[in-house]
Amino acid sequence: MSLMGGFVRRPWRLAAEVSALLIAAVVAFPLYWMVLNAFKPAGEIESTEPRPWTSEPSLDSFRRVFGQQEFGRYFVNSIVVVCSVVLASALIAFLAATAVTRFRFRFRTTLLIMFLVAQMVPVEALTIPLFFQMRDLGQLNTLGSLILPHIAFSLPFAIWMLRGFVKAVPEALEEAAYIDGASRARFLWQILFPLVLPGLAATSVFSFISAWNDFLFAKSFIISDTSQSTLPMALLVFYKPDEPDWGGVMAASTVMTIPVLIFFVLVQRRLVSGLGGAVKD
Amino acid sequence: MKLSVRTAVAVTALAVVTACAPQTSDNSSSEKDDKTGTLRVWLFQEVSNAPKEKVVDAAVASFEKTHDGADVQIEYIPVETRAQRIKAAFNDPKSAPDVIEYGNTDTAGYVKDGGLADVTEEFADWSEAKDNDPTAKQSVTVDGKIYGAPYFVGVRALYYRTDIFDELGLEVPKTQAGLISTAKEIRAAKPDLYGLAVGGAYTYGAMPFIWSNGGEIANGTGGSYASAIDSAAAQKGIEAYTSLFGDDNCPAAKCAGMGGNDTVTAFASGKAAMAIGGDFSHAAIEAGSVKGKYAVVPLPGVKSGEIAPAFAGGNNIGVLKSTSHRTLAVDLVEELASKKTQGELFDAMGFLPTYTDVRADVAEKEPFVKPFVQTLAAGAKFVPASPAWAQIDSSLVLPTMFQEIVSGKKDVAAASKDAAAKMDDAFSSVG
Amino acid sequence: MTTHDALTGRGTATEAPPAGPRRRGPGWTPWLYLAPALVLLGGLLVYPIYQLGLMSLLEYTQAQVSGGEPTTFQGLGNYTMLFTDEQFWQVLLATVVFAAACVVSTLAVGCALAVLLTRVRAVPRLALMLAALGAWATPAVTGSTVWLMLFDPDFGPVNRVLGTGDHSWTYGRFSAFALVLLEVVWCSFPFVMVTVYAGIRAVPSEVLEAASLDGASQWRIWRSVLAPMLRPILVVVTIQSVIWDFKLFTQIYVMTNGGGIAGQNLVLNVYAYQKAFASSQYSLGSAIGVVMLVILMAVTLVYLRLLRRQGEEL
Repeated sequence: MSLMGGFVRRPWRLAAEVSALLIAAVVAFPLYWMVLNAFKPAGEIESTEPRPWTSEPSLDSFRRVFGQQEFGRYFVNSIVVVCSVVLASALIAFLAATAVTRFRFRFRTTLLIMFLVAQMVPVEALTIPLFFQMRDLGQLNTLGSLILPHIAFSLPFAIWMLRGFVKAVPEALEEAAYIDGASRARFLWQILFPLVLPGLAATSVFSFISAWNDFLFAKSFIISDTSQSTLPMALLVFYKPDEPDWGGVMAASTVMTIPVLIFFVLVQRRLVSGLGGAVKD
Repeated sequence: MKLSVRTAVAVTALAVVTACAPQTSDNSSSEKDDKTGTLRVWLFQEVSNAPKEKVVDAAVASFEKTHDGADVQIEYIPVETRAQRIKAAFNDPKSAPDVIEYGNTDTAGYVKDGGLADVTEEFADWSEAKDNDPTAKQSVTVDGKIYGAPYFVGVRALYYRTDIFDELGLEVPKTQAGLISTAKEIRAAKPDLYGLAVGGAYTYGAMPFIWSNGGEIANGTGGSYASAIDSAAAQKGIEAYTSLFGDDNCPAAKCAGMGGNDTVTAFASGKAAMAIGGDFSHAAIEAGSVKGKYAVVPLPGVKSGEIAPAFAGGNNIGVLKSTSHRTLAVDLVEELASKKTQGELFDAMGFLPTYTDVRADVAEKEPFVKPFVQTLAAGAKFVPASPAWAQIDSSLVLPTMFQEIVSGKKDVAAASKDAAAKMDDAFSSVG
Repeated sequence: MTTHDALTGRGTATEAPPAGPRRRGPGWTPWLYLAPALVLLGGLLVYPIYQLGLMSLLEYTQAQVSGGEPTTFQGLGNYTMLFTDEQFWQVLLATVVFAAACVVSTLAVGCALAVLLTRVRAVPRLALMLAALGAWATPAVTGSTVWLMLFDPDFGPVNRVLGTGDHSWTYGRFSAFALVLLEVVWCSFPFVMVTVYAGIRAVPSEVLEAASLDGASQWRIWRSVLAPMLRPILVVVTIQSVIWDFKLFTQIYVMTNGGGIAGQNLVLNVYAYQKAFASSQYSLGSAIGVVMLVILMAVTLVYLRLLRRQGEEL
């Protein structure tokens, strides 16, 4: 349903639609290329005439990828880390956002500013101090050392994003609930939470991506128990700067991208309405 | 609102100033010395690692037979990430292994880091230790104390394609200048080949050019070093090496980023007519497409008949200070680095033994070893035995210097001056 | 009084409840709700930052860390070393310029495509949205390797199509940065596009109708009508982009192999990492981290000022 449907002249609209389709093709091309080369046999990849299609799709690259020591394990580890981070961060951010939005208390503004400032921190620089902390907590070489920091780092952004959604729930609703005798907790979980769900979907996308993507922390915190490592580490095994195994890299990349795409598809309806809600007047 | 921003900033500032030292890890020798239990070992993973694994497994089996209750677990780690993993092990003694393989350029650095155990006493009783050649012995000694057993030595020489030389009617180069001109000749006749594969990040391939011209990386002894990489002699060597980068031999775009392994791979796959490779590259080149079409000679020096001093590389095996199975670990090291195992390792991988007698035997058995032994005999050199070397190496001072020259960013004089300054900074910071 | 509040949704008319005898006071409840967040953030964000600052004031290399040598207080020594190093200033300049280029490109592409989305019907719009979401979903590591392959000198389609033989796009300083910029814009524009598109959809159509009927061109409509109305959104999107692009790490690290030939493609975050982990000069790496933190905080202050000027009530 075009916004300006009525008053955009036809030739302009046709031009616009053709451009949109072309641009969509260009944007999607790298992904298409990735999947294509994951299925291409090695001979074709390295030939001097790369074609944008393949006549003999082969699962060789995928076999190499999965045959690599413990790849399946890495995949499961990544899933575990990401699910824990998304769930925990959603809950904690929801509670915190509710606190700073629907209550008035001293330090409220200070806290808000600190949450904002927290987003600016270049987290890679914190790897060393975090390493020692993880060691002292006995979490080194466990998935916990990845889960905890990621929850923490995704909170500030999530809290700021959720503010809008929490604010959008009208006071009247809360009042009515209390008049009906609902306790605070009931209001929180049975009324507020469902209403904020679109916003939670939006923020969970961000925490999902950042946790799924991480390779620096996995590299630094998981040293002697490689069965606890995550996917990005597996990807880099195939990528040697001067003679990469492109088939393997693309296959591993495809495997790494699929869960994210699935997650996106699951939340996309909520996502667009969520982001829309965040900026609506 | 402004007030609360200020308070927030002030509070944070206050927290930073409050004193409380950050964590250091305690690597003091553990009091425990269990005579049974699991020993964890980290060894390097080589290209085509299977033969090495077999030899190691045999040594481990024999060790476990004579040491009841001891169980050995070996892990093979990729060489590229070894530095970080070993440092991480120093940082977290709980997850650290008991025995590690490490490059001999890292010895001084690791000792300063407090990670390796002093085994001078234990090795004094080890009969085989005295048969190690002097360079190998030096590579495990810091301040007169011994921190490991030499595992193998590696030197580099010139690999060249006999078939191409025959085809073009070329003679094997006997001088450095001859080497350079031959390389360019080959490239001119066959533009799709590199004449001599060189890498901007291939420090140990570049060093012979500097050494053969009389230059040094640094001068000094035990206590303090001063960089000499910007001396006139050293600059001549750098010029010679960097003259090999260009469309007339090895295009900068491709070769500036290559390291040692990349140049060897280029040779093995037939993309280069010559390469500077190690005795340890033998297996990889045999497995390549140039098998049977190549030969090896020592890298020529400046004058005819001279051999350019090669870098005496090699690996050692050491015990970590944090181990709780010290006696067992030392015994295992003696087994892994024994004359017998080194002999077997040579048969499997082509790694040169560190014992002079074993090496002599091996040279008789396998002719391909001859040029490497010759190079060793001509006098191989080492990097400055300063703890700062590990830092200089890992912050890529020399590769950066070569790359700056090759990419045209700086000329030889400026780049070498900057490299010398960086090295001096590092040397002085360790005192 | 309602103000157009980009980030917080509804106007400020529906703020927190008035104090009065009917309402229970907030009491401990907000603090209870905040507790998990505060504990995690305090322990895993504030404390490490404090440690970071502390480490930058000490001599803290591998030797100190593994107990081989004692830690000594250096005061501002590390910072002096840093500020007198020519490479630091080069990297800083490169980071600023590169981040600026990324932000400008991402915004331009995102906004232009957002407007385009409003002009087309369902099918092309869906196609573009899906493609964009795909680009956005791709992990940074994956995107980096895929784009590297696209531009690979020997096996990449770009060299085939352009007929440039085996030209290496990662060798030259600017071309390497340009390559990374392409990847960054590719995976960042969707955020801008989706957000701005949502904002445009919220603009009452009468306004746009009126402007169009008055004969204004597309560009004019954008400049004089849409942009001012979308200002709050644009501010949010710009600041977010500035922060993310300034902190860029993965793409540079993977695509330029750790910083490029002779470190010519280093940006601050990668530079700090190399100092800390590659050369084990943890204290120097920490100092760089602190510098980055300070710069980004300055950006935050600007953001806060802009928010306040809009009448945003925090």
